[in-house]
Amino acid sequence: MKLFGRKKKQVCVVGLDGVPYTLLQAMMETGVMPRTREIVSRGVLRSMTVTLPEISSVSWSTFMTGKNPGEHGIFGFTDLKKGTYDLRFPTFRDLRTETIWDLVGRSGGRSVVVNQPSTYPAREIPGVLISGFVSVDIDKSVQPKKHLAMLARHGYRVDVDTDKCRNNPTLLFSQLASLLEARLRVVNELWSGESWTFMEVVVTGTDRLHHFAWDAYEDSSHPHHADFLDYYAKVDAFIGQLYDKFAREDSPENFFLLSDHGFCRTKKEFYVNTVLEQHGYLKLDPASSGTGASPAPSPSLANIMADSKAFALDPARIYIHRRDRYPRGSVDEKDVARLKREIAEAFESAADANGEKIVRRVFDAADVYSGPHALEGPDLLLIPYNGYDMKGKLGAPSAVGDRRLQGMHTWDNAFFFSMRKDLVDPQKDIEIVEVPWIILRSVDVGP
Amino acid sequence: MKGFTLWFTGLPCSGKSTLARRVEEILLERGMNVEVLDGDEVREHLSKGLGYSKEDRDTNIRRIGYVAKLLSRNGVVAVGAAISPYRAIRDEVRGWHDRFVEVYVKAPVDVLTERDVKGMYKKALAGQIKHFTGVDDPYEPPENPEVVVETDKESVTESVNKIIHTLEIMNYIPGSGTTSDYSAEEEEEIKARLKDLGYI
Repeated sequence: MKLFGRKKKQVCVVGLDGVPYTLLQAMMETGVMPRTREIVSRGVLRSMTVTLPEISSVSWSTFMTGKNPGEHGIFGFTDLKKGTYDLRFPTFRDLRTETIWDLVGRSGGRSVVVNQPSTYPAREIPGVLISGFVSVDIDKSVQPKKHLAMLARHGYRVDVDTDKCRNNPTLLFSQLASLLEARLRVVNELWSGESWTFMEVVVTGTDRLHHFAWDAYEDSSHPHHADFLDYYAKVDAFIGQLYDKFAREDSPENFFLLSDHGFCRTKKEFYVNTVLEQHGYLKLDPASSGTGASPAPSPSLANIMADSKAFALDPARIYIHRRDRYPRGSVDEKDVARLKREIAEAFESAADANGEKIVRRVFDAADVYSGPHALEGPDLLLIPYNGYDMKGKLGAPSAVGDRRLQGMHTWDNAFFFSMRKDLVDPQKDIEIVEVPWIILRSVDVGP
Repeated sequence: MKGFTLWFTGLPCSGKSTLARRVEEILLERGMNVEVLDGDEVREHLSKGLGYSKEDRDTNIRRIGYVAKLLSRNGVVAVGAAISPYRAIRDEVRGWHDRFVEVYVKAPVDVLTERDVKGMYKKALAGQIKHFTGVDDPYEPPENPEVVVETDKESVTESVNKIIHTLEIMNYIPGSGTTSDYSAEEEEEIKARLKDLGYI
């Protein structure tokens, strides 16, 4: 594309939701992803850590803003409505900072963004935005809306039927394949039909595959092992086709790949609120637990008692029950630091029945969040040793329970690939918050 | 929070007053002090006696702008909602402010003629009203407004959300954190999907 006789720089970004660095390497080395191997050989592939908690809504919000949660304001898939104990589900409207696509727009460029998680409901950006997970209404997932008809024509869907696919591998693999094909058709049409500087598409099928069928990856005798590898071969072809198209543009070196968190096999679930209850930090009103013939209602934070000192939201965000922040809060500011230390120690010593340690690290939020919204987030964040999937579930009878899903997220072992070797510091570990700025530098866009 | 001026400009019947009132409601809910300076109302009081010549229009806008400046520097969100057809005078008013957000309420004249909630376009087109902006008086759209809302393509809610979102991004107003963007049915669907993936 030429602008006033000069080459206009473009950038292409492919996101692979939940793909670990080590898995990508293994897929390339074993020949499952030959195109990706060839592409990666021309640039720099690095392991990457993500912002906390290590979930897509937070990681992708960090990617799309280049800011930490204390600045962009997204701390999880759930939050509490201010001044209450009622859950709410933050949306794209809760994002407090500009996106990288706004920055591209301000410099005169346009973006085409397909299946970006945490952008629902879609709002206007300079270009085209098709929201990803958690999108519940396709009509609210597209801007400009004129593209709705095109999506329908291509049979585009945002996600697999998670409820049906969870325990039905055949349906899962079938839907994963058809989604990927439709996604590519849509990207192809927007690629040629739109004027753009920044092209981004996120593959989220990888994350679904890992949650529901991770065992099929690790166990080569698993009946769906070949299906697992076959899906990665399809993803490889997807990446290859996009790169082949991009190679025909004027700046093919501006090609990037990234994931938003790592993944590993789940061994057990670990219930953070149960541990808080066991140590006396969390107390739920027993009158709400049901009696006699009345079935017990689901435990809820609405039943938190005034002498509770802390509670957790998924996956492992611990909030001090501050007097000035919660209706029944009882902790004064002067006691917060001591409580955080005590709670951190309680979790650091948590172990499974076989003595295996569960909590790999306890983060003080003050050390990981900065910015005007940092105080809206949790006070402590936990990350587990691989295999212990942390949950904020209330009412679990013991701290450790059986897994419901096969795979879980990890904070590290995500990946970033830049074909531009000059943009990546070889001496420094990569964190996801840096990635958008690296990518924007390739098209001379700054903050 | 500090005050600021939120200035709605656009053709007659484009939706300025409607949007201004809806935004006012939201800002009041969030604990801001808000005052709406509606063009129609101002002409009944502050600018009584002024006509629709360019000179009188400029005087009217300067008066609204001056009051908005006084309010906003005292911690109030001053919401101006007036056609304010001339770019130079809007920019002059902007220059008096430290914190000024211009909202261009955009809609094509043919749509507005059809909408014509006050019957004014009909009269102007019939020659019964002179100096009617968009018919026989010019309207100069803003070149760099902070927000553009297109009321022929967006619902009132969508336009309001766009304005509120911009004000949040600029850190001129506190975030909501109190409400949900989802209906009760949508929340149930989201819960189910988050559960399917082990996220809650």
